[in-house]
Amino acid sequence: MNFKKTLWAATLALGLAIGSGQVFAQKKMIQVKGSDTMVNLVQILAEEFMGKNPGSALAIMGGGSGTGITAVINGTCDIATHSREWKQKELDLAWEKGVKPRFFVVAVDGLSIIVNEKNPLEKMTMPQVGSLYKGEIKNWKVVGGPDKAVSLYGRQSNSGTYTFLQEHVLGNKNYSLDVKEMNGNAQIIESVIQDEGGVGYVGVGYLFDQNGKIRKGIKVLNISKDASSEAFSPLDKQNIDSGKYPISRPLYEATNGKPNAAVTGFLTFETGPEGQKIVEREGFFAISEAHKIQNAKNLK
Amino acid sequence: MKKPNNRQRSVIMALVFMALLSAGTSLFGQQTFSTTIYFDYTYYLSKSGPKTMAPPNTPNFKNNFFTFRRAYFTYENKINDNLKFRFRIDSDYVTALDKSDKPDDRLRPFIKHLYLEWSNFLPNATLKAGMADTLTFKIAEDKWGYRSVAKTLLDGCKDVTGKDIDATSADLGASLAGTISKELKYAVMVTNGAAYNHPEGDKYKKIAAQVQVIPIAGFSLVGYVDYEKQSPSANAMTYKADAYLELVKGLVLGAECFSYKNDLNLTATGTKYDVGGFSLFGRFGLIPNILNAFTRYDRYDPNTKVDKDGTSLVIAGLDWAPLHSSFKLQPNVWFTSYQDSAKKNDVIFNLTFFLSF
Repeated sequence: MNFKKTLWAATLALGLAIGSGQVFAQKKMIQVKGSDTMVNLVQILAEEFMGKNPGSALAIMGGGSGTGITAVINGTCDIATHSREWKQKELDLAWEKGVKPRFFVVAVDGLSIIVNEKNPLEKMTMPQVGSLYKGEIKNWKVVGGPDKAVSLYGRQSNSGTYTFLQEHVLGNKNYSLDVKEMNGNAQIIESVIQDEGGVGYVGVGYLFDQNGKIRKGIKVLNISKDASSEAFSPLDKQNIDSGKYPISRPLYEATNGKPNAAVTGFLTFETGPEGQKIVEREGFFAISEAHKIQNAKNLK
Repeated sequence: MKKPNNRQRSVIMALVFMALLSAGTSLFGQQTFSTTIYFDYTYYLSKSGPKTMAPPNTPNFKNNFFTFRRAYFTYENKINDNLKFRFRIDSDYVTALDKSDKPDDRLRPFIKHLYLEWSNFLPNATLKAGMADTLTFKIAEDKWGYRSVAKTLLDGCKDVTGKDIDATSADLGASLAGTISKELKYAVMVTNGAAYNHPEGDKYKKIAAQVQVIPIAGFSLVGYVDYEKQSPSANAMTYKADAYLELVKGLVLGAECFSYKNDLNLTATGTKYDVGGFSLFGRFGLIPNILNAFTRYDRYDPNTKVDKDGTSLVIAGLDWAPLHSSFKLQPNVWFTSYQDSAKKNDVIFNLTFFLSF
């Protein structure tokens, strides 16, 4: 081998060695990616977990449920957080790539419909919410509100919340093209605060300020299943547990196959008593006994 | 009416542009812009192979150089949950002369994709209409995963002579791809058969069909065939079979083989010949998101009626994302050997820079 070739090989080896040093430091880090609804909650859970388990490291990223699911399928993250179930095409792709997902419910969310606090409306039916977001109702007076144009705020299509609402409230129909697509729950809330005709949908954990009170400028609507049913608030845990609030949903995490010891440790913390206290403190609802039993099965 | 001057035109155009922007989501839906670029620093490690040997009396022979291989700019507009529009510009060095007949082979853009994608056109099936990616190499390219380093077997071989294999990565027409069950997928396509770089030149259309069977999780078998009439008395067909294994986390193994038959491919004595080859490849994630290794072996026979014209290619390399997945360094070595013992091996080192943003 001549001098130039040796130099090339040495440069390459050096580069790889430097890179390896960096990467091995990151090797133990658990990568969590997905739902924007869950990103703040999981960040807090991770911080608590790391505080109690020195040496553990987690990186939490949002991007939407679809992004997290894709990342687990492609092997670029350890845990996907998602606020909807996997779509059939995602399950098919996982099958093709040899990915065998395991699902864990870490919290329960009451998907909340919010309006500006100046809107006198107190309740709506699920079909009315669906009609609003399909663009069939364009003025609040149609549903008993003021004579004001409806201003729709929602999420982008990679959001699990977008898909959940579409499947469960819009009957799988397309959203109106008038929906302003926001990057996250916080942006929706800010927009509705600024817009008297605004309506948005957000995870229940985003409704509260630092003092645990509903954020100023918004109103959370009570929702009924249909016109003949009673409307219930998503803020009351009993309404969620009993299923009276019609648009509650589990918040999931998924792994590719049986999680390794480090991931198991974090999942156990999240779904255990300490983690569930944090879940409630952050405004979401604790998981049920049935969820706990299923989680334990999926960890084995 | 007085015509607007240049300044007024600029103001009008700016106002129109601002009006279009302010129209917001109702007009444009969900839009994304993205760019992918890969370029190489290439250095010839051998000096006596057909590719790496300097021609006589060429002391300045180009044995190391930087070159752009691809620069894509992609615009996508998701109009609603079922409709998506895609416009992709690719670029390549195009041989040309300037006004004074001096070479001007600069990197020039051209349209690669321009199509409408209609999801759920049929149950669990997507229709693409326009200039879209063909079925021919799509799955192989996804599984190989390193288009930035090398084209897949059939894609790469079509460029060896430029005429022996009628195959392209994009063409004008329509395709339908669907899922029957998690174990069975299908796709069919009808195109001009003239590729993205030529308008249609005859009345014949290329018809392609593909079936993917996934009997167990992580194991795929793919069968592909295409057909196009070449003249009233001549036909061309491509047969392709692939197998992919993804049973171990981070490890992808693949095999691809093809045979191309064209009645117009004749030897000097007038005998028909076929073109064929096979490829085996693997890639493994050493450290997820950061360091991967890959290797590939290709065997290519450009003429089944000629002995000792085959080539073997071994590619090996690393894929390293030192800072972020949008920037990767992919050092790789290409080792080409020739069945013809008179030809010595070519050994070429590439440092591929991959950027995606």
